[in-house]
Formats: sequence, structure tokens, C-alpha cells
Amino acid sequence: MNLQLETEAVRVENLSVSYSVVAESSPSQKRKFYEKTTRKTKIKALDDVSFSIPSGKIVGLIGGNGAGKSTLLKTVIGVLKPETGKIDLWGRPHLLSPGMGFNRLLSGRENVVLGGLAAGMTLNEVKEKQESIIEFADIGGFIDLPMTTYSSGMFGRLSFAVATHIRPEILLIDEALSAGDAAFKERAVQRLKDLCESALSIVVVSHSSTLVAEMATEAIWLHRGKIKMQGEVQSVTDEYLKFQAEGNETAQLDQR
Amino acid sequence: MTTHNAPKITRKATRSGLPILSDYFRETWRFRVFAWRWSLADIKARNFETFLGRIWHVINPLLFGLIYFIFVGILSGGGLDSISYLAAIVGNLYAWLFFSQIVTMAMGAVQSGPGGILGQSAIPRIVVPIASTITSTNLFLRSLIAYAFMHLIAKRGLHIEMLLAPIIMILICIFGFGFALIFATLNVYVRDVSRLIPHFLRLWLYLSPVIWEYTRVLGDSSLNQIARLNPFYSGVTAWTISLGGTLDSDGPKIWEQIGIFSIWSVAVFFVGIFVFISKEDEFAIRN
Repeated sequence: MNLQLETEAVRVENLSVSYSVVAESSPSQKRKFYEKTTRKTKIKALDDVSFSIPSGKIVGLIGGNGAGKSTLLKTVIGVLKPETGKIDLWGRPHLLSPGMGFNRLLSGRENVVLGGLAAGMTLNEVKEKQESIIEFADIGGFIDLPMTTYSSGMFGRLSFAVATHIRPEILLIDEALSAGDAAFKERAVQRLKDLCESALSIVVVSHSSTLVAEMATEAIWLHRGKIKMQGEVQSVTDEYLKFQAEGNETAQLDQR
Repeated sequence: MTTHNAPKITRKATRSGLPILSDYFRETWRFRVFAWRWSLADIKARNFETFLGRIWHVINPLLFGLIYFIFVGILSGGGLDSISYLAAIVGNLYAWLFFSQIVTMAMGAVQSGPGGILGQSAIPRIVVPIASTITSTNLFLRSLIAYAFMHLIAKRGLHIEMLLAPIIMILICIFGFGFALIFATLNVYVRDVSRLIPHFLRLWLYLSPVIWEYTRVLGDSSLNQIARLNPFYSGVTAWTISLGGTLDSDGPKIWEQIGIFSIWSVAVFFVGIFVFISKEDEFAIRN
């Protein structure tokens, strides 16, 4: 049955995600040439996480390095598979990721088409929105130059402009606002707020609790793969800042 | 309680296996324009910063053919008199390059992913090798322009079998795509595959009637039988006949070779798709 709470856009229930990585085994140890120098390490990135996100809201996702924020987003968009638990989504999610589908040797204008198509837009949709995207990115004559000549700020502007013209029902943003100057950041935040008013649900991931506090109304704090706190944005970010000030925030893998 | 208009999508733990194929191929079809555009962008970007630009797409295979012309023709004692033979070898080499490029480019593309798309969206992974296969096909068609010059210089003439060349091209494409999917999947699990593939392909090149013509083994029945065990033997033989006409009236017939190669190509194609799709869920974790 496709019924859910009135304003729910994302529901995560008892979600756990693990993956294996190849790491060097004891770098200092001497070994014979035929002995393996690597070993597989299993990382439990998310451990029994449950929450729900209302539609038409901007929710902040905060936490230190290795807290599981990016893993959570990748699981929501379907790149990673849950180990246990499930995610229900009411709408198509899209991860705003800098330069997805771009070919940096080509011009910004050409990459608007590539990026739009990579995000699932039709060619007609891309063509219709191309000028609006270019106008929003506001990078002047650089739009017809190869993207290899772009500064990181210009790159971020164009990526953001493409992604926010796609109009998915659920938009996920992973540190994508870190690029760009203050004036663009202001426009970007306003753009997201406008999108939100048209019932778009947005999840913003950031190390910057200030940015999250500015944009979001609610926040989820992840720590070492578990939810440490969730609720009204100000109280969550206040607790998070206090936690950081006490020096408790270290990368997840270091503490295992 | 109310419902949303948007369809519900559920992500949950499942055993790795085939997805619902109708959904999978519908989603793949949705990204067909991206595959096409990405391929065109890739070709454009290849020689973007060079002085000769797009002309390299024809110069490259010409130079490649010239090197083998010197290697096979002059150094092996064939001399410049056997220019027709050498044109045939170069024609075969382009077909081989077409196949090997499909395999190596698809493997590379699946490993790196265009513009980081594999790690950042749930796009069906098969879109990536499809796009790189379009690129390989495009480059191959350009190399045929280079071959056409050699064909004319060598006075190889026009043959009715030439009409079958497009069918053989499609079969080589299907054959290469199937192998590309198998090797790309293996490479995700065992990285050593990407190191072994160049050596494996070089060995396969020498075992196939590419730089030696299929007529060389016709006299020796045991050698002929061994050569025919090679899945690509029938493909290259059919290609050689299609470009140069029937070289030996008692030798292999083009329709027979196309028939055998069709069976190989279709089998490899479906095995490749099955292997790739059933394992692609794990690509994001292992890549």
C-alpha cells in the first residue's frame, strides 16, 4: 500500500549499510615479496538508522568525517544497497553532485546538456532550460570555454545551476554549496528555499552547522553510523557544536 | 492520511541477482540520449587540444596500418609487391581494433565512470559500456575511410560480398560488447584482469586470422580445426572475404562463417548482459 503520513517524503527504517575496502596491512611490517600487502576491511558505515523526512522541508544532515552522511545519501539514491532495513521514497531522488556526467575538456554550454541528460532530463527539457541554467550560473563568457579553465567556484556554480533545474521530488545536496562566493551562496540558498516552496524535499549535508542552521528547519546528527540526535535545527546544531568543542568528534574508522 | 502523486520507490536489502528486466531496460532506454551525447563528447574531447583535431581520427588508423605495412610486408620479406595482401591485413587489423577497443574502452569506462556518474546516481551501469561501444563504433567507421584509400591503392576491386560487411560489423560489435561486459564485471572483482587483458588480447590477435590470412591454414586440416576453435576465427574470416572477395573457392564460405559467428556473438552478448546486470549492484562498493 502506498499510503504514508501526510507530509512524508523519505522514510528510513532500521537501515544498516556496510562495505569492504582494500587497505594496506600493517605498513611497517616486513614481508616476503609474494606475501599480500593488502587486506580487506569491512566498514559498517550506517548502523540501524531510522528517521523520516517530511515533504516540502529542508532537512540538514550533520556529522563529522566518516559519520555516514555520504553513505546515507548514496543509499537513498540507490548507488549503495542496504544491508538490512529499508528506505521508502515518495518521489525520485537526485543527488546534487558537482559535475556529474561532465566532460571537463568541453565547454560549460556543452556540459549543461551532458549534465542535464546524466541527471535524467530529456534533451528537450535540457534545451528548454539551457538558457535559464546559464543565466543562473552567471559565469559570463566562460560558458563557451572548456571547463578545464574554470575555477572551483565557477565549476560549483554551473553544477548547482544544472542540478537545481532538474526538479526531482527529493533533492540531496552533499557539501555542494561549499563552492562559490558569498553572493552566489546567498542566491543558491534562496533558490533552494524557492524550490522547497514548490513541495520539493531537500536534504543538505554539510560539515558547516551554520549553513545547515541557515537553510534547514530540521536536522539529523549522525555520529559513527548512528543517529545521535534529530529534531529542530537550532537545538541539534547547538548540541553538535558543543560536542565538537569538547573534542569528541573524530573520524569513525579511527575509533574502531 | 493522504497519498502523494509521486510513485513510491523502495530500497531494501536483497540478494544480489537480476533486477526486474523490464524496469531495467526501460531505465536504460531513458538514458539513451545521454549515452549518445556522452560518446560524441568523448570523441570530440579526444583530439580537442591537438592542431589537426578531428583529422587524427583518420590519420591514426592510417599510421597504424603503415606500421603493420612495414612490419608484415617489408620485414617479413613480402615487399611492396604484395600491396593487395597488405591492404587485406590492414583491413583485418581495423576490424580487430574495433573489437579490442570495445573491450578495453568499456572496461576502463566501467572502472572510472564518465564524470563520476556511477558513484553519484542510480543510472543503469550498462549505459556506460553502451556509450563507450558507440564511441568505438564511431572511431571504427572513421578508420574505414583510411582503409578505403588503401583498398583503392591496392586495386582490390569491388565484390558482391562487400554488401555483407555491415552485418559482420554489427556482429563484431555485439561480440565485443558481450566480452566487454564479462571482462568489466570480472575486473570489478579482480583488478588483475585489467592488467592481463592487454596480453590476452595480443595473444588472441596472433591466434586469429588477422595478420595472417585464413588461407594459410587451409592446407593443414589439424591446424585448420584448431584455428576454428577460436570464436573470432569465423568473424575475421567473414570480414576478410567481405573486403577482398573469396580467396579460395574450396575454403570457407562467407555465409557459413557469418552463421557460425552469429551464434558466437549472440551467445557472448547474452552471457555478457546476464553477468553484468546480475552483479552491477556491487560495482559502487567495489569500484
